[in-house]
Amino acid sequence: MKPEEIRDKLTASLGAAEYTPGPGDAAITVPVDRWHEAATVLRRDPDLDFDFLRSLSGVDRPAVGKIEVVCHLLSYRHRHTIVLKTGIDRSAPAVPTLSDVWPAANWHERELYDLFGVNVTSHPDLRRLLLPEDWVGHPLRKDYKEPDSYRGIPMQRPQTAAEAVTPPAAPEKP
Amino acid sequence: MDPYIERSPDGAVAIGTLDSLLNLARKNSEWYLLFATACCGIELMQTGGPRTDADRFGFVFRPTPRQADTIILAGTITYKMASRVRLLYEQMAEPRYVISMGSCANTGGPFYDSYPVVKGGDLILPVDVYVAGCPPRPEALIEALMLVQDKMAREPWLRKARGRWPDPKDPWPQPSAVLGSCAAAAKGPTPKG
Amino acid sequence: MQLLAERIATWLGMEGLPRQAVVAGVVLVVALVVATVVLTIAGILTWAERRVAGRTQSRVGPNRVGPLGFLQWVADGIKLITKEDVIPAAADRTLFRLAPYPVIVGIFAAFASVPFGQKLIAADLNVGVLYLMAITSLVVVGVLMAGWASNNKWALLGGVRSAAQIVSYEVPSVLAALSVVLLAGTLSLQGIIGKQGGWPWEWYLFYNPFTFVAFFLFFTSAVAEGNRTPFDLPEAESELVAGYNVEYSGMRFAGFFLGEFANVYLLSAIATALFFGGWQIPGVTPDMQAASPVWQAVGVGLFALKAGTGAFVVLWLRWTMPRLRVDQLMGLCYRYLLPLSFAMLLGNAAYVWLVPQWAAWVVQGATTTVGLAVAGVFVRRVFYHIRHVGDDVSLDLARGESGTFDPQLQVRVYGAFRRRHAGDSAS
Repeated sequence: MKPEEIRDKLTASLGAAEYTPGPGDAAITVPVDRWHEAATVLRRDPDLDFDFLRSLSGVDRPAVGKIEVVCHLLSYRHRHTIVLKTGIDRSAPAVPTLSDVWPAANWHERELYDLFGVNVTSHPDLRRLLLPEDWVGHPLRKDYKEPDSYRGIPMQRPQTAAEAVTPPAAPEKP
Repeated sequence: MDPYIERSPDGAVAIGTLDSLLNLARKNSEWYLLFATACCGIELMQTGGPRTDADRFGFVFRPTPRQADTIILAGTITYKMASRVRLLYEQMAEPRYVISMGSCANTGGPFYDSYPVVKGGDLILPVDVYVAGCPPRPEALIEALMLVQDKMAREPWLRKARGRWPDPKDPWPQPSAVLGSCAAAAKGPTPKG
Repeated sequence: MQLLAERIATWLGMEGLPRQAVVAGVVLVVALVVATVVLTIAGILTWAERRVAGRTQSRVGPNRVGPLGFLQWVADGIKLITKEDVIPAAADRTLFRLAPYPVIVGIFAAFASVPFGQKLIAADLNVGVLYLMAITSLVVVGVLMAGWASNNKWALLGGVRSAAQIVSYEVPSVLAALSVVLLAGTLSLQGIIGKQGGWPWEWYLFYNPFTFVAFFLFFTSAVAEGNRTPFDLPEAESELVAGYNVEYSGMRFAGFFLGEFANVYLLSAIATALFFGGWQIPGVTPDMQAASPVWQAVGVGLFALKAGTGAFVVLWLRWTMPRLRVDQLMGLCYRYLLPLSFAMLLGNAAYVWLVPQWAAWVVQGATTTVGLAVAGVFVRRVFYHIRHVGDDVSLDLARGESGTFDPQLQVRVYGAFRRRHAGDSAS
């Protein structure tokens, strides 16, 4: 199925959907309140049948004050692809979970939460995925400032001998 | 037999006979931990293979840190992994040695500007030997293990075990001061669930 | 039953002393000697294992300490003594410290009734086979203690697996050994060896088809009982880190380690005594052997040779066979080995009861012929493979020479592969 036909199909069941034909994958942008519904249509409609979530990622756009959430989808049966996008408010980013549509979205959304600080509502298990639990900040935000140290481990190598400290001795064993 | 230490005028050191016997045994039975954090682990596995047979020198892997003498930091260490690495090191039985293998474990390597990567294994563990390379060849790792052997051979194990080493009046050449400190990382974050 | 201790006491002319005191003293000395011998055997086997592993994997194996690396086990032992003895904070300290001892005691005590030679046996018990089977079961207690006391999930899983495995495989191994006991009419190992002879056709291995199968049943179950690959699930490092000894370091770990390797020799020694004629020398009757110290020495050497070959086969198996899964392991025991060993026991009973002597001679000859032919074919096959695949440790590649590696062949093979799959990516 051509991307335009997918767009038409989606518009028919959803209403408005912005369409970007690209040199790469064509993209459909939906408002965030239709996000879950759009995903469900793309997954469940037998003519669309996107059964493979290839990637779920985020793009930080501070210039427009938005974080884009991007889904790359593939249908193994129909051999067509589409990109599903939505833009969410950067100051209080929240997006509904897709993990009930594609189970693979679970960890992708955890990563999204981890690196962009997007609050994925009704996610079954929203924890940090790649970074430690007590990490401060979300590193893929453009305004992320790296702290000086994490739990006493300096983030930069000590440059002079004065900065160098002997590593801790192992605690006494009982 | 009481071990003795003698210093020749040029600073070279001779150790007592019993200590040298013990050290001869210790250095010929250096068991390393089968543990790798990233891609250097492939070379670590290869080191035990037929081309560079680590077993020739008595280097065999042990899967558990309790029975290992040497931990090889093979590859990129992330901050999430740091506490686990430290825990593994603390689970090892004394005397224990650390080899930092590859650029990432030495300094953070190509990921120096990356937010989740520890900028060198020596910030969390006292490293004895550094191996350069990305990744180092198995031969280089063998060389590093043999440098640890040299270090073992120079240590007064018996004096150490009896609490008489290091002696402040007769300072032993200490391992070079290693950079960094992370007392808190030893405890590490507790993963939920 | 005559204890070696009493014999030595008589020999030294110490009958005057209180009997118990002499016996206790001599028993202590004998126990020390046996323990030393067993430790040495176990140590040498660890070295042998690493050499065999090296050869199997086209490596060299340890070769730096002593000639051919022979003193490697001494170095390992001394190193393990110098290591710290870690006891985890969460562990049950008393049990944790105690756990290696049942393993060591179970294995080492079993060596008390291993007939190293016609007169070289610490205690020729009239219930020898029963004693061996019973005392080696003590290992389970130690392993389970280690698994439980470590307070570690891998250790606990390993310990429970090991207990299940040893208890299960105990049954077929005892039943297979019972076939021999049935034929010999005695439980004493010296008695069983005495009923056999030096020549292969006089061994119980080739006595009849039932004993021939019973030997393989016994050997398989004994290997499984010793937690050796392909049945080393309790120590499977890909699943359980190091199994029940995961928290052990230093000498306590060495206890488990030596116990395992002593067990390898023990099972080969029992198999030798039960099925391979023990210390019997071809063409020399036991009476002749008893009279001459030279024949005695030859007998001891022959026993060591047979048991050593068995131990080598166990090591060889370890580095050749992949590991079984847990359900496959239990299935093998309860579905195949157990019914088969029962069948062999009943078969032997029926054989003793029904078959007349002249027919027994024929069967013995036929079994020997078939058995030796099978062994011959197997050995030929092994050497055929070694010749054609090669087991040389070749350093040609390291020197920059290509050796047997043919880059042209690789290119041709890879080219054919690419041509065959060229159409796939286009669609």
